[in-house]
Amino acid sequence: MKRNDVKRNSQPATPNSPLANFFRALWAVVWKDLSAEWRSRELLTAMLVFALLVILIFNFALELDARARASVTAGVLWVTFAFAGTLGLNRSMATEKDRGCLDGLLLAPVDRSAIYFGKAVGNLIFMFVVEVIVLPVYSVLYNINLFRPGLLLVILLGSIGYVAVGTLLSTMAVQARTRDILLPILLFPLVVPVMIAAVKASGGFLQNLAWAEVNAWLNILVVYDIIFIAIAFMFFDYVVEE
Amino acid sequence: MLFQQATPDTAGYMIAGYAVLFGVLLVYLTSFFVRFKKLRQDLDILEEFDVGD
Amino acid sequence: MQSKPRFLTILDSVTAILFVIAVAMVFFYAPLERTMGQVQKVFYFHVATAWVGMLGFLVAAVVGILYLLKNDCKYDIAGIAAIEISLVFFFIAIIMGSIWARPVWNTWWTWDPRLTTATIVELIYAAYMMLRQGIEDPDRRARFGAVYSILGFLSVPLTFISIRLLRTIHPVVVGDSDPGAEGSFSMTDPMKATFFFSLFTFSVLFVDLFWHRLRMGKLAVVVEELRMKVSA
Repeated sequence: MKRNDVKRNSQPATPNSPLANFFRALWAVVWKDLSAEWRSRELLTAMLVFALLVILIFNFALELDARARASVTAGVLWVTFAFAGTLGLNRSMATEKDRGCLDGLLLAPVDRSAIYFGKAVGNLIFMFVVEVIVLPVYSVLYNINLFRPGLLLVILLGSIGYVAVGTLLSTMAVQARTRDILLPILLFPLVVPVMIAAVKASGGFLQNLAWAEVNAWLNILVVYDIIFIAIAFMFFDYVVEE
Repeated sequence: MLFQQATPDTAGYMIAGYAVLFGVLLVYLTSFFVRFKKLRQDLDILEEFDVGD
Repeated sequence: MQSKPRFLTILDSVTAILFVIAVAMVFFYAPLERTMGQVQKVFYFHVATAWVGMLGFLVAAVVGILYLLKNDCKYDIAGIAAIEISLVFFFIAIIMGSIWARPVWNTWWTWDPRLTTATIVELIYAAYMMLRQGIEDPDRRARFGAVYSILGFLSVPLTFISIRLLRTIHPVVVGDSDPGAEGSFSMTDPMKATFFFSLFTFSVLFVDLFWHRLRMGKLAVVVEELRMKVSA
């Protein structure tokens, strides 16, 4: 099997080491998501088309002329990422649930948190792919250079926080009757700090503010990431327990 | 001088504020009693069934 | 379980008496604040309801942890009870604050850190109620509720800090940049007495309501079990 080859190649550590087992399980979940997505491409296509549509709608709604662009670009980008991210999180968990894959994963003799981190890393990769495509498209459409190291760092930190909470909450949301509408309602009030900090930090880097002025926002992002990864790590067990 | 000329008359806002407080509390308490009563009725009916079996 | 405990009946009467006294103190004992006028009297119950709201959300987070540790359904009943009551009180606090702000800050609403955080908190717990409504299995509902109430409570400080940072970097356009400066006042002794008495009254009111809500929750569990038994 292809998956086994990859596991063997990427993890040469001793099979009994618990940490190596953990990472092998984690990587197996990530690889499963990526290869499934590579075959169907439905999730990424939906996220991408949706993201581009959101940007297009913002263009009409906000009259993004040269002056408006400078101040609202950060906001437009993050709203786009958040909406596209919700779409991806919901879909990625819903397919697990519908095809009974989640139950299969839970039966596997691996640490539950490996499943969580596997799903989270998979979701993060999908979000990065969307961001990597949206950024140049936005740059070209609105003639603004978005490839700045600071901005990329903010996008990295912001996406991690968003996905850390989002993966945990989407696992809860897909098990509810009202799952299609539930995820954004559960997620958005909790990621308010990420959104504020990410928008302000991105805006700061786009306006070439001094590092010191953006620093506070980066701190909030880092603290949020650490706290919520730790919480999700602790509570994932309770969310998938049968 | 206990009452300065500058003290604005904001009694309307005060009444509105407390009207909201009492209104919302009343609505909540009413819903509370209704739910409690309904549960009691359900319990009575179910107990009758339970004994009847 | 069926008969009402005697102490609860006593607590009901005490709460009612305290509440009447608190209202009387607010309207007849507390002096008129000079720069704001009568509307300042909203402040006493506004702070008291907000305090009870935060207290309930804290209680819910604590019993959420206890539920996950002990897996006992009484903690779940306590969690939903606390959040339901707190949602009502927090809603009252936000509306009363808004009414107070109209004459004092000259606007119904500013995006001040406290106001904004309060609204987000209200939305978090509204989401909590929706999450519970969407799940039929009682055990799963309790677990998810516990996890979300802990998650929600922990996000509040970060939300507050980030909004506060946002506002200090970009001052509020309407009104003073520091809302604490405008509409703040020094309390005289009768004001302090009224203020602390209101806080105390609402704390007792919370305990009383919480107790009633717990009994209702337990009754609901009994009814549900009986329903299963009868229909089986």
